[in-house]
Amino acid sequence: MGRVCVITGASQGIGRAAAIRMSHEPDVSALVLIARNADGLRETASALERDGKEVELIAYDLMDLDGIPDLVRRVHERFGSIDILLNIAGYADPQSLLDTDADNIVKTYTINVFAMLLLIREMTRYMYDRPAKILNVASTAGITSRPGWLAYASSKAAVVSLSATLADELAGSGIKIYSISPGRTATELRRKLAPEEDPSSIMQPSQVADVIAQLMRDSEVTLDGQNIIVRTRA
Amino acid sequence: MKIGMIVLAGGIGKRIGRPFPKQFLLLGGKPLIIHVLEKARLIPDIEQVVITCPEQHLEETRRLIANHGFDERFACIVGGVSRQESVYLGLRELTDCESVIVHEAVRPLVTVAEFRELIAAPDPNAMYGIPISFTVLKGHQYVEDLLERDELVNVQLPQKFDRAALAAAHDAARADGATFTEDASLFHRYAGAPVRILPGSERNIKITVPTDIVTAEAIYADSIGRGG
Repeated sequence: MGRVCVITGASQGIGRAAAIRMSHEPDVSALVLIARNADGLRETASALERDGKEVELIAYDLMDLDGIPDLVRRVHERFGSIDILLNIAGYADPQSLLDTDADNIVKTYTINVFAMLLLIREMTRYMYDRPAKILNVASTAGITSRPGWLAYASSKAAVVSLSATLADELAGSGIKIYSISPGRTATELRRKLAPEEDPSSIMQPSQVADVIAQLMRDSEVTLDGQNIIVRTRA
Repeated sequence: MKIGMIVLAGGIGKRIGRPFPKQFLLLGGKPLIIHVLEKARLIPDIEQVVITCPEQHLEETRRLIANHGFDERFACIVGGVSRQESVYLGLRELTDCESVIVHEAVRPLVTVAEFRELIAAPDPNAMYGIPISFTVLKGHQYVEDLLERDELVNVQLPQKFDRAALAAAHDAARADGATFTEDASLFHRYAGAPVRILPGSERNIKITVPTDIVTAEAIYADSIGRGG
């Protein structure tokens, strides 16, 4: 039986690229793609390498934290196992300290941190009987000062921290936790953060997806618990 | 052969100096008892696990077990007023098992390999033991006698027994009103069958006093590859 891979933020950017890349992995038998944007999910699905793989699209807004346990339970009921979780969904609306408001901070942390934590908590309940893997997408914004990106950058720092903590806490359980921090990547999110930038001059989502696919292979057992910086150099 | 397991989680936290029982202390971010149960979960040969705990902590223990995703193989019961009685009550839950492993929640650093080797040992009754590395004397206020440490063994858990034989030994001990601090002693006295001593590990420490947690954290960090 192949591996079941759940991907959040799969309607665009790195999430879509990861879905496409994972669809080429021969031992992945099912892809569960989660995002708020149903149209984007369908577009992602149309680009997948199906080859007998099951694909389920779930339009879900991760702002709804209360619904996450039921969401995960339904995925497990449908597929009988969960082997890989790629937490890629992210939100950014960069605002400086005196311009930001509570809604912006809460939304950024809810999507980037709280939903991620709850997804991990619920998924691990179904992962204990197998060598499962979880990958969280942080950002280089989480490891350096980013004036004007207060909520986003600090939320990504939280992702780095929670990933390292959980890698230790779940050590010995068979579940490995990875964290990657992509640098500048040509995504819709990046366009919002740096609208003047030429997307073709920076890292492409497919390059990040290649790294994700390598980390999710069974043979990779040494890089969990570290914050892996992913970037291209000129 | 059906194998059952008793996990003793009867502590009330007196010696460790904390207001809650030792089995709930965190090691590497997880309660001690969860460390033990996670290892049992990885061994399909162990078909049934009975956790004995004080009545006042039964719900808390059940909540932990549910939170950490343990399936119906794992069940909690109220233990006895003594460790010995808790094992006795645990044995009553495992009547369809031929072999029983006895372990305790406060030995969280036991390894999956140790459980597997114990199960694979050809002797039906076996325990882990390590040499005594310090001098021991008999006495209280004054030295009363010498003990040859080469003739002694530091008793560790887990232990494995023929379930029916251990149950019969417990019945006999109860009839005599005899009390023991662990089951290899009780079994040796009442079952009349040999108990094999397997070489244990210095790392499989029992969390008894507060400094044990400090030691356990260092051993645990090393065991998960975070020891530097």
